[in-house]
Amino acid sequence: MKNTHYILATLFTFCFLICGGQPILNVTISSNFIFGGGQGSNFATLSLQPIAIIDAEPDPSNTINFGISSNTLEAGLPATGPGGILTNESIWLNFTYRAVNFTNAKIYVNTNQMVPAGMVLQIQVLSTANIGGVFTSNPVLSPITLSTNQQVLVNNFSSGYTGNGLGTGYQLKYTIENHSGQSLPLGFEIIYEIK
Amino acid sequence: MRKLCIITVSFLLSFSCSQAQILAGTLNVTGMPSFTQSVNAVVVEAGLDDTTVGFESNFDATKIGFVLNPILLLPSSLVCEQNVYRYSVFINSVNTPANVTLEAKTTVNSGLRFPTVSIYDTLLIQPLGPRNLTPTNGGNYTTVPNNATQAIKIMEFIGCRQDIPIQFRIKPSALCPAGNYNFEINYTVTASLTL
Repeated sequence: MKNTHYILATLFTFCFLICGGQPILNVTISSNFIFGGGQGSNFATLSLQPIAIIDAEPDPSNTINFGISSNTLEAGLPATGPGGILTNESIWLNFTYRAVNFTNAKIYVNTNQMVPAGMVLQIQVLSTANIGGVFTSNPVLSPITLSTNQQVLVNNFSSGYTGNGLGTGYQLKYTIENHSGQSLPLGFEIIYEIK
Repeated sequence: MRKLCIITVSFLLSFSCSQAQILAGTLNVTGMPSFTQSVNAVVVEAGLDDTTVGFESNFDATKIGFVLNPILLLPSSLVCEQNVYRYSVFINSVNTPANVTLEAKTTVNSGLRFPTVSIYDTLLIQPLGPRNLTPTNGGNYTTVPNNATQAIKIMEFIGCRQDIPIQFRIKPSALCPAGNYNFEINYTVTASLTL
C-alpha cells in the first residue's frame, strides 16, 4: 500500500514538473493536429489612436514660487537677493507620445501672458533620466528666454514614454532675473505642448 | 439500474474499440474581431505606457466549434455522441504589429455541447470526465504568441462543442504607431483519448 502511495506521489510530482507551464504547440508539425484535430483562422483589424500627453511633475502641485525671502533681504541689494536671480530645479517633464506614421514630435514651451518688462524668465533642460520609460532624449540644452511665442524645448523624438513622476523624463531649471522685485501677473502660466 | 449498467459497459466497449483511430472532425471559426481603440481607452497619465490601459473586444468576438464529420449515413450528432474525445485548443497570431500584446480568453463551460444531450452524460463512469470546457489560466486572459509556429493552449473540452466564444484584449504600447493594422489569428485543435 505504501509503495502505491510512493509511486502515485512520484507520478504526480513528475506530471506537475512536466505540465507546470502553459502547453505550447508547434503548429507547423501537422501530425500534432491532423489526426482528429484541425486548424482554422480569422482575420482581425486593429485601429490605434495617436497619443500626445505631457505633464509637469509634481502634478498637480507644480506651482513654482519665486517669492522674496525675508532671510535674504538686504538694504541696497535687489529684493530677490544677491544678483536679483532666483532658480528652481524641482520640476520634471513626463510625456507619452504615439506617432502617426512614424512622425517625430517636439516639445514646445511658451507663457500664456507677457513676462513683465524688467523681468527675464528662462527655462533650460537641466538633465534627463529614465525610470521605466522608453524614449529618445533630445533636449535643447541652452537656456530659453520665455515669451508668449512657442519655442522648442525638446527636439525631434519618436514614439515613447518617459516613465511617470519625479526623477524621470526631463528635469527643468527655471531662472528668473527680477532685480526690481516685481510680481508675475495673476494667472501666469508656462505651457508645454507636444506636436 | 441493470439497463444502465449494460449501456455503460457497451459504451465503454465501443469506446475502447474506437481508440484505434480518432475520427476526423471540422473546426469552425466565425467572426472577424475588430479592435478599435476609443479615446477613453487611451492612457491619460503622461509618462506611462499605453499598455497600462488596454481595451477589450466583445465577449464573443470569435466563436469556434469542433464537430466530428458525418460517416456515411451517420450524422455528426450521432458520431459525436458515440465518439467522445478530449480536445485542446491552441491559439497564435501572425503579423500582429510590434509592441502590441494580444490576449484571449473564454469562460468555464462556455459554448454548447454537441449534441446537447448524449448517452455519454448518463454513464456511471465517464472515461474522460463530463463533457465540460475548461479554460486555461482559470478563465483569465492568456497572451497570444505572435509567432507563426508556436501556439499556446487556451482551453480544452470533452466531446464535440459549438459556439465557444473567445474574447480578446489588446494592450498597445505607445511605441506602436497610430493607424490601422490587419493580422491573422490561428486556432489549432488537437484530439486525444487520454485524461
